[in-house]
Amino acid sequence: MARDGVVLEVDRVSKSFGALAALSNVSLVVQAGQIFSVIGPNGAGKSTLFNVVSGLHVPSTGRVRFRGREIAGLAPETINRLGVAKTFQITNIFPEISVFENVRVAAQSRVRESGRLPSLWRLPDVEAAATDLLRAFGLEAKRDEMAENLSHGEQRYLEICLALATEPTLLLLDEPTAGMTPGETKEATALIRQIASARGLTVLLIEHDMSVVMGISDRIAVLHFGEKIAEGAPEEIRSDPKVVEAYLGPPED
Amino acid sequence: MEYVVSILLPQLLHGLVFGAALGLLALGLTVIFGLLGVMNFAHGELYMFGAYAGIAAIGLTGSFWVALIAAPLAVGVLGAVTEVATLRPLYRREPLYGLILTFGLAMAFREAVRQIWGGDMRRILPPVEGSTPLLGMTYPNYRLFLLFFASALLLGIWLFFTRTRAGIIVRAAVQDAEMLDGLGVNVPRVFTLTFAGSAALAAIAGLLLAPIFTVYPQMGVEMILLAFIVVILGGMGSMGGSVIAAFVIGLAQSLLTLWMNPQRVAIAIFAIMIVVLIVRPRGFFGREGVLE
Amino acid sequence: MSRALSWRAVGVWVLLAALPALPFMSKFYLLLAFDALLFGAIAMSLDLLIGYTGLVSFGHAAFFGLGAYASAVLLERGVVSLWACLLFAVLVVGLYALVVSYFSTARRGIYFALLTLIFAEVVYTFFRYTQTFGGSDGIQGVPPPRLVGVFAIDSPMRNYYLVLVYLGLAYLACRVLVTSHFGKVLVAIRENEDRARFLGYNVQRYKMAVCMISALLTGLGGALYPGRSAFATPDLMLWTVSGEFIIMVMIGGLGTLAGPVIGGAFFVLLQEKVSSYVDWYFIVIGLVLVFIVLFMPKGLLGIRELLGGRRWRATA
Repeated sequence: MARDGVVLEVDRVSKSFGALAALSNVSLVVQAGQIFSVIGPNGAGKSTLFNVVSGLHVPSTGRVRFRGREIAGLAPETINRLGVAKTFQITNIFPEISVFENVRVAAQSRVRESGRLPSLWRLPDVEAAATDLLRAFGLEAKRDEMAENLSHGEQRYLEICLALATEPTLLLLDEPTAGMTPGETKEATALIRQIASARGLTVLLIEHDMSVVMGISDRIAVLHFGEKIAEGAPEEIRSDPKVVEAYLGPPED
Repeated sequence: MEYVVSILLPQLLHGLVFGAALGLLALGLTVIFGLLGVMNFAHGELYMFGAYAGIAAIGLTGSFWVALIAAPLAVGVLGAVTEVATLRPLYRREPLYGLILTFGLAMAFREAVRQIWGGDMRRILPPVEGSTPLLGMTYPNYRLFLLFFASALLLGIWLFFTRTRAGIIVRAAVQDAEMLDGLGVNVPRVFTLTFAGSAALAAIAGLLLAPIFTVYPQMGVEMILLAFIVVILGGMGSMGGSVIAAFVIGLAQSLLTLWMNPQRVAIAIFAIMIVVLIVRPRGFFGREGVLE
Repeated sequence: MSRALSWRAVGVWVLLAALPALPFMSKFYLLLAFDALLFGAIAMSLDLLIGYTGLVSFGHAAFFGLGAYASAVLLERGVVSLWACLLFAVLVVGLYALVVSYFSTARRGIYFALLTLIFAEVVYTFFRYTQTFGGSDGIQGVPPPRLVGVFAIDSPMRNYYLVLVYLGLAYLACRVLVTSHFGKVLVAIRENEDRARFLGYNVQRYKMAVCMISALLTGLGGALYPGRSAFATPDLMLWTVSGEFIIMVMIGGLGTLAGPVIGGAFFVLLQEKVSSYVDWYFIVIGLVLVFIVLFMPKGLLGIRELLGGRRWRATA
């Protein structure tokens, strides 16, 4: 469960791939219980930021602190066990097993025996937790379907279920509504907000859909070419000229 | 000094010669793996086919030089046919199927050659005889030719990959195969041509090395193991890395032969690979890719 | 029944136990049956890697051969206790497997295939050219191991029952394993390794564990071999043997346990027939592999699935 105070602190993080500077000196602070969105044009470095926080990349410089603890450079599985769960921009589920099995194996990673010798013969009972999650996202009816047979929107939901099954404190959602219809998007947005508050989650969100961002966020940071160019409440960001310029190009003279 | 000139120096050159041919072989592997996502376990057999096709061509025409053109062409066609018939259906499936399939092809190819040409060792006579005085010793002309030819070929390939549009696209795709889709390129044809090209390179390597080593059905097996070690050391997906690692392995093999018998040399090369994997798990030039 | 056992499996095992009672079961056929069950069990343990975890081991023959050599070395020196042989095989194969699995699982999937192959070739080369272990002739003429006291496993019938027990125990172990927490994670790793990592699983550790378990089961099988053959040679470790193990798994069906056992038995019998036309045996094997991959990827048991039978895919 989240405590009061700072959940995530990104401290002057830069990340370069060879000559390409994907992130330059990005800093932000996410408070407990917030829904914090990161937006910006394509290539702005949003996914790279997520990848640094979740452990896929090691920052070239800078630090990342999760609930006060340094996590930059730790392995992805370690970071997840500390309480950070990520969803993927391109749906990344377990295709040829059932929906229920998908969530089950995710929930299973949190039982006591996980990673220990008894796990070689014990089968932990996480049915209830898995079923609850499926129900929350309306997937319970499809529990025996093969995951790859789900519709795109349902697969996006399954993505989130997988992340939530690991009982995170901080949830990183990478374009959760990508590819969804406007109706699905609205539904997903409401669902995310509801679940986040019900479970006391802190959410860091990447989104392209402005209606989602404006509707759901407590705070927004804007990235452009790897740098943070603005941060603030939704109303401030909406009217910030730098942000407008980043998205629409420089004002015409 | 006498030692350096009459023993060490020739071995060094042997190493470069071998490394150049190994580079041709390993480069083909790397490109195919990067582009198609297939680790071609039959690559050593394509190398072997090059030598045997050469034998056939020389038998028909009596000319090594004709064989040098005909063999890669023939093996390239074989490669193209193989790719279309057996590998193309597998691209959508998990990579393990491609591994198992090419492994099966390797077995079948090896045995087929043994059936057709017999299991005895064969020889191809070097087309160029004699030796040249060089740096205080004399060095066989054929090996010099091999060194220059293979290096020229590598240089030509390098130019292709850095100066021509087609080459630049393929090279970028080796590092990120998905980008091809967005370019409106006829992907299946690129795959087939690239596979054929890699097969032709393997065949050339096989033919070039044939006059130095003997020709026999198992010849591809040892080379492919070395090629795998080269690819692991050079860093997966790094073409330059493969070539450099090939020269390094070639030199190491050559120099170690001065002090150990062939079996110990093989184990020593393997030990070198282990040490490198411990110290630099990504290989010489591997890049930080996804979860490396 | 329970997670570990189904009535069908028990039934099959009992039938197999009754096999030697059949009238035509001469010594020759008993030995053939021994091979069928032994390699079937090895194929089953290999499927833990290939079918359940998605890792192709091209060097499994090395685990098998090392187990055989471990056993043979002891037997040759007069240590004829079967238990000593098994224990020593576990030690030797375990050590080798630890090293191989560590390096092979450190990086992406393809490294596993390459490194298991390379390691196995080195092991083969080592035994082939080291005179202490008999060089290319290997260790010949070893006495049969003893179960207890002076009771030696010295006839095809006794060897058959020994391997039947081994198969039964191995099957039990594998069943428990694949239906456990561990087994579920293996399947997740096969389906999407990256995702499994991001769910908190230390994927390398799991891969190493399954590789070692598979290797040890195979090595134990290898330790039983000198009792049947009275020798251990480097040819047991050829990469063509690794290829044969892979075929057995493919024939039987990836991702099942009974499948590879059937595949192994089927292959042994097939090989017996085909190698009388000895020469182009390897062409047949190679093409069979190609054919299966292209047209029958789910193996024999997969055919059953196609015909509307139950899903055999390895999950709940």
